[in-house]
Amino acid sequence: MNTEKNIVYHDSAIKHVSGRSIYINDMDTSSGMLYGKVVYSPHAYAHILSFNLEKARQLKGVHAILSYRDIPGINQMGPVFHDEPCLAEDTVNFIGQAIFLIAAETKEIAAKAEKLIEIDYDVHTPVTTLEEAIARNQLLSTPRIIHRGNADAAMLQAKHVLKGSLKTGAQEHWYLETQTSLCIPDEMNELMVYSSTQNPNETQAIVAEVLGIPRNEVIVEIRRMGGAFGGKETQGNHTAAWAALLAKHCKRPVKIHLFRDDDQIMTGKRHRFISDYEIGFDEDGLITAYKVSLNADAGATADLSMAILERAVLHADNSYFIPNISVIGKAWITNLPSNTAFRGFGGPQGIAVIENAIDKIARFLSKDAVEIRHRNFYGITDRNTTHYEEEVENNRLFTIYDQIIVSSDYFERRNKINEFNSCNEFYKKGMAITPVKFGISFTTAFLNQAGALVNIYQDGTVLVNHGGTEMGQGLHTKMQQIAASELGISPEYIKVNATNTSKVPNASATAASSGSDLNGMAVKNAIDTIKLGLLEIAVLEFNNKNYPNPSLTKDIVFHDNFVFDKHHPDRIIAFKELILKAYFQQKSLSSTGYYKTPNIFFDRESGKGHPFHYYAFGMAVSEVKLDILTGHHEILRADILHDTGKSINEAIDIGQIEGGFVQGIGWCTTEEIKWDTNGKLLNHSPDTYKIPAVRDIPADFRTALLKDAPNYNTIGQSKAVGEPPLMLSFSVWMAIKDAISAVANHKIEPEFSLPATNEVILKSIEKIKLLGC
Amino acid sequence: MTTVSDKICFILDNEWVELDFMHTASLRPVTTLLNFLRSLPNHKGVKEGCAEGDCGACTVVVAELNTNNQLEYKAIDSCLVFLPMIHGKQIICVENLEQHIGKEIQLHPVQQMMVENNGSQCGYCTPGIVMSIFALFKNHQLPEKEVIEDALTGNLCRCTGYKPIIDAAAKACIHNGKDHFSEKQDIITKQLIDFKKENKTIILKHTEQLYMLPQNLKDALALRKQYPKAVIISGATDTALRQTKKGEIIDQIIDLSQIDELKRFENTDKSMLVGSSLTLEKIKTEVQKSFPALSNILKIFGSLQIRNLATIGGNIGSASPIGDTLPFLFACKALVKLQNADTHRTIPIEDFICGYRKTMLAADELIVAVEIPFIPKDAILKSYKVSKRKDLDISTVSACFSLKLNNDHIVNDIIIVYGGMAAQIVRAKQTEAFLYRKNWERNTIEAAMKILYNEFTPISDARSDAEFRKLACRNLLMKFWNETD
Repeated sequence: MNTEKNIVYHDSAIKHVSGRSIYINDMDTSSGMLYGKVVYSPHAYAHILSFNLEKARQLKGVHAILSYRDIPGINQMGPVFHDEPCLAEDTVNFIGQAIFLIAAETKEIAAKAEKLIEIDYDVHTPVTTLEEAIARNQLLSTPRIIHRGNADAAMLQAKHVLKGSLKTGAQEHWYLETQTSLCIPDEMNELMVYSSTQNPNETQAIVAEVLGIPRNEVIVEIRRMGGAFGGKETQGNHTAAWAALLAKHCKRPVKIHLFRDDDQIMTGKRHRFISDYEIGFDEDGLITAYKVSLNADAGATADLSMAILERAVLHADNSYFIPNISVIGKAWITNLPSNTAFRGFGGPQGIAVIENAIDKIARFLSKDAVEIRHRNFYGITDRNTTHYEEEVENNRLFTIYDQIIVSSDYFERRNKINEFNSCNEFYKKGMAITPVKFGISFTTAFLNQAGALVNIYQDGTVLVNHGGTEMGQGLHTKMQQIAASELGISPEYIKVNATNTSKVPNASATAASSGSDLNGMAVKNAIDTIKLGLLEIAVLEFNNKNYPNPSLTKDIVFHDNFVFDKHHPDRIIAFKELILKAYFQQKSLSSTGYYKTPNIFFDRESGKGHPFHYYAFGMAVSEVKLDILTGHHEILRADILHDTGKSINEAIDIGQIEGGFVQGIGWCTTEEIKWDTNGKLLNHSPDTYKIPAVRDIPADFRTALLKDAPNYNTIGQSKAVGEPPLMLSFSVWMAIKDAISAVANHKIEPEFSLPATNEVILKSIEKIKLLGC
Repeated sequence: MTTVSDKICFILDNEWVELDFMHTASLRPVTTLLNFLRSLPNHKGVKEGCAEGDCGACTVVVAELNTNNQLEYKAIDSCLVFLPMIHGKQIICVENLEQHIGKEIQLHPVQQMMVENNGSQCGYCTPGIVMSIFALFKNHQLPEKEVIEDALTGNLCRCTGYKPIIDAAAKACIHNGKDHFSEKQDIITKQLIDFKKENKTIILKHTEQLYMLPQNLKDALALRKQYPKAVIISGATDTALRQTKKGEIIDQIIDLSQIDELKRFENTDKSMLVGSSLTLEKIKTEVQKSFPALSNILKIFGSLQIRNLATIGGNIGSASPIGDTLPFLFACKALVKLQNADTHRTIPIEDFICGYRKTMLAADELIVAVEIPFIPKDAILKSYKVSKRKDLDISTVSACFSLKLNNDHIVNDIIIVYGGMAAQIVRAKQTEAFLYRKNWERNTIEAAMKILYNEFTPISDARSDAEFRKLACRNLLMKFWNETD
């Protein structure tokens, strides 16, 4: 595997570049397919007094207009808590909440029908800010609290204490492919659901529930998504449930492909947070106490908010040992679409607070923040347990730091930046290094399981099914490589199938960066089972010549499309031939596989446990140049050193690192989301919502994988890579703050928030200038 | 009027396609090229990401004749293109790039480099990116990084972080544009020239819509007189959104995009005459030396795909308060040339634009050109744009300054124009008056900034709040001073 790892391209690469990749919106069905449309609330909080669907129903070409009354099963699509109606009943709680469903012969007819629907609302004043939700005590659920030591006492004893509050903004996923589902009714109650979902198992469950049919009547399939980033972990379910209701009702295939603006208006985002903190430290910047209160905007319903909040609480420490710490996480209900999973899953919001606090400490002590960060890193042999009492094993922070500080030429460049700043009034440069330590595993322990089904056919080709979904991250490619490596055959003989609930049931969402870890092990497990039979046949085959020293199964090797005895390389058979022999000798050439992550537990009551299988580490150094008259920034250079264990596919891992980093840069800089006081989303299209474009990436962008860093007890000694690199973008965010701070020669703490748009930057500079005068 | 035809023709998959809107119920003249392609069984590669020209997932390449009858390859956003706009042109889609040699598929160098450099992850933006790089491949040999990035600003990718895509583009564009399209280029050129010779003004009548595609100015003016309420388009990058985003059916359209007479530059001693249907990309290239302040602002105007469609006439005619060419045109006192069937007139742009998206254009007139006086040697002209994102973003605040100093560093003449600060493009006349005859030095500027800060009352919106606009507006004067001092 390792010799080939750099030349295995994404398994869909050729299809992607030639326009052959089929997404759900590209699927041709038999004639008779109808277009589904969701009619949603224009009010953030209102009671529905009455509605009239008759005029719309009479429009030619309209096949169905459904309200909650037409739902045969239960009117629920909340993933964890059942608090989210599939279609609104008497109350609407956010702009974008689905009320009716239309199925029509064309999109135009559906749009006309929508205009004919009459709804009478009693409109109320919505709660659209976190501050207001907190003031009204609209708590979603029991707070998540983790303590260690005595933060209050330690704070009193601390030499210095700084306080602050940080706002981090929402982020729209902006997957290129909007939410899409195509449902095709089959015989009797059966339904085939094609859904752009990260969680086909849950999509299946929710479709079955709203239709009031058992799960074995519903098959969910997804070949690939056009991006997801967490946005299709639960909210892909919604579109599937709506399309299923229409398809079932009309007895015809129905497709819903959300229009971009509708997608942005209707779906949840990364949770915005307001976090208040207090941090105690000594004259060297060693942190002795940290108290932080993390407040998340859940939106109208729970969705995954509590799990996201939990990860924020578990990541409040980032990479730093804090002896006395108190973390309180609360999620609050507002009249906005329910916020949901987004790459990092609360981790970024928790980490941002301590990174900003450390930066503040450095300015207070007139030191470079790099020094404070380094001083507070988790230790190797001591100071190495987290606030939830998990030991930070195989801590690579110092290894990474030592390498990147040299490779990025940090201190030399720091001097040059100071020099530049001293002789430039209208441009300032800034630089920062930030680390990430990210816990890998679902914090909901039972989700850490996966299944696979591997089929070998008589011609020696292999079809791998597993529970993970492909959203661009290259999971299928890695599974192909793992299967190839385990079977000792070329990847070209292996195909990874579309994810399908009838092949692999009860799979967890492809989320929490866990896709390769979990499914890779399950695929290996399935192959191990098949290989038991193959080994028997191979040995039988080799030993039928009555050698004095017969071959033993333990010595049989699968390599390079052949199977042979490692002690007697002449006893060899082509893989393909062995498969055929196995078939004729009535051996099963198909097996399921299963894996559960060992030793994962977490007690929510005490806030203690071992929620993570291991940690992924990384660090980035970024340098920016600010135009202090306009607030425009330019990222001059970024160096990343990231730990992916023994990488299964370096190119794919680097793609995840760079892509996650740039997505993080977007959140930290230009991706601003605003709602007006009526709860109306102002940035509902790419016209006003700005994700990074090609010129927004670092001008000099250097990414490296940490070398010689095998992981323990994971597939191929690799590490998960999906989410952790996103948080490395804090190096850009902190570099911008450093540049602002340079305006007053680092004497004044700048006002700062996330995203640091040019508006935030310019206003912060104005304040500094006023204070500095 | 020249003979009228009711069909449109274009080349797709190497064959001429004829569309007759009378007899194709599912198509309207305003059906976008994107939706047309996606309705075909073999063209699902082109994707809709936003239907507003802001993501480039729908990018295709159009090969068309320029005014010298040479074939040009341009990347465009197919979501913004009404079908009649491709009349007489060749459309190249992602499916057309590969070749089949026996059983083997041979990828185009652009595609091959995207594979080898890991340029795709989820793949949804990929066909559009491949097409943007393909246009780059046809037009550039060993392009600089800046040129590559410019070719890709209109393509959003949410997965890769762009670096592998830039690498792929750099590695692909090493063939002087030579590929299997080159072999057929002469034939296609000839076909398009022959087609153009007998080309007729087109009137497309659909039950809900009249779409007129005149081939010369005379026909256009006659139609304008006959249908004074018709919406005038050329690149349609603004008007298309009424259809794609609001589902509005515009009942009458006059499309000027096929009129060569409106696509000419003419230089006089004192000025440059720019035809109203010239695209912003053409202008950007043409004026690099003569009007760097215009060229610089066009570099960050939309994206290449947008600039390949959008015209200067459209930017003037839509009279948006954030039209990016307008502060420049105000600052250099450009003149708008108008014409009707009988006569013509010239109006200073400052008078032509008379309110929020309002102009002095009469119901029978068309904008035929804009006359831009050359910048006197003793004048300094600079334009600025402040937006949330550098590229492919609409201005939060834009500005253009024109300054003449005498030998004693005294302001002899200054024009300060802003976009984004009011309902229309405005001059900062109080600030101008204050600066007039003052010494061009920092103290003066700082005093002027205080006036400027209070001169306008901008709005707060999705892009920024009013305070930021005021700060940016004020600071741009300092920036200009800093760059002139």
